[in-house]
Formats: sequence, structure tokens, C-alpha cells
Amino acid sequence: MARINNQIRRLRFDHGEMTQEELAQRAGCTRQTIIALEQGKYVPSIELAFKIAGAFGVSLEEVFQYEA
Amino acid sequence: MAPLQKRALYSLLIGLVLVAALIVVFVIKGDVTAFSDDGNLRYLTYGVLIGVPLIYLILVNLTLRKPTQIDERDRRIMDKAPRLQLVAIYISLAVWVIALTELYRETGQIPRIFVTLILFSTLIISSLAQSLGILIGYWRANRNG
Repeated sequence: MARINNQIRRLRFDHGEMTQEELAQRAGCTRQTIIALEQGKYVPSIELAFKIAGAFGVSLEEVFQYEA
Repeated sequence: MAPLQKRALYSLLIGLVLVAALIVVFVIKGDVTAFSDDGNLRYLTYGVLIGVPLIYLILVNLTLRKPTQIDERDRRIMDKAPRLQLVAIYISLAVWVIALTELYRETGQIPRIFVTLILFSTLIISSLAQSLGILIGYWRANRNG
């Protein structure tokens, strides 16, 4: 089964241990959505994925990886 | 707990308490025909009818106006809630039809008051099922993703 992995938790750590709340504010979503993303229980829309990547200042592929 | 989830829970609990209170009053009165004769019972029923959707409107719908409290995941969950609402309405109507048919089969007619009660119960169940649908949506999202 195809799966979309993400590096959000690691990227938060790399960015001075950015809090989930801070990332949520930057990406324009709720903290609960960040929690669900980190647990692999939610696949974001393209728009939110770009916003999260933008919050870290990295490309989309550095945050999300498609695993066939 | 997400803000929308919290408010849906409060809305459901308050709604259930109001409905339970109404059922208790009807049971104490002993007969639904008391609705026509007892003014207080009528006002209480009207209060619940207006109160349940109003509580839902205040608690849940006002959350939707605050962009910081709701995002795409919440909206996806909310969009699925009407499925349960529809099922709940179908079931409640089926229960009414079966119960009334069986209870009044001998007489061949039902008291007119049931028409009003069916409408009221459908509206109340619709509001409660919307909140329940949101809560089930969060539960499923947290369990399965």
C-alpha cells in the first residue's frame, strides 16, 4: 500500500526545537493536525504541505516522501 | 482535543441532558396527549426544540468563524458528519412508524399530537447526530488516520 511519510518531527528539532503550536501557526493549521501528521494519521492537502515546507524554508520533497 | 471536537462534545452532552429531561417529564405525565392539555409541557418541549439547535449553532458553528480554531482536517471530518445525521433521521422515522403502527393498529388512527412530536424529534435528533458525527469522525481519524 502506498504511503506518504514526513520528516516534520525531525525538521522541528532541526529548527531549534520548534513547537507544534508554532509550526501550526506558521502553516495556518491547528496543533492537532500537526500531531496527526507526525503520527502518520493524516495526509495533508497540497496547499497545507507547501505551507509546512514553507514554514521550514525547505522544499516539499524534504518534508514529504511518497513511498510506493 | 481539537477545538471543534471539544465543542461538538459539549453540544452533544447538553443536548442529551435536555432531551433526557424532556423524556422524564413525558414519562411522569404518563401520556403524550398531555402535550395538548398541559401548557408547561408544551413550553418545555418548545424550549428543547429551540435549545438543542441553538446550542449546536453557538458551540459548533461559531468555531467555524475562527480560522485559527479550524483547518482542513476539521473541515474534512465535519463534511462527513451529515452521513450519520441522515442515518439517524431514517432510523428515528422508522421507529416512529413501526411503533405507532403497532400501538394504534386496533383503533386505526393515531392522536394528532404525534405529527408534531415526530417533527420535533426529527429536528432534535438531526442536531444531536451532527455533533455525534463530528465526534465519531475525530475518533476514526485518531484511530485509523
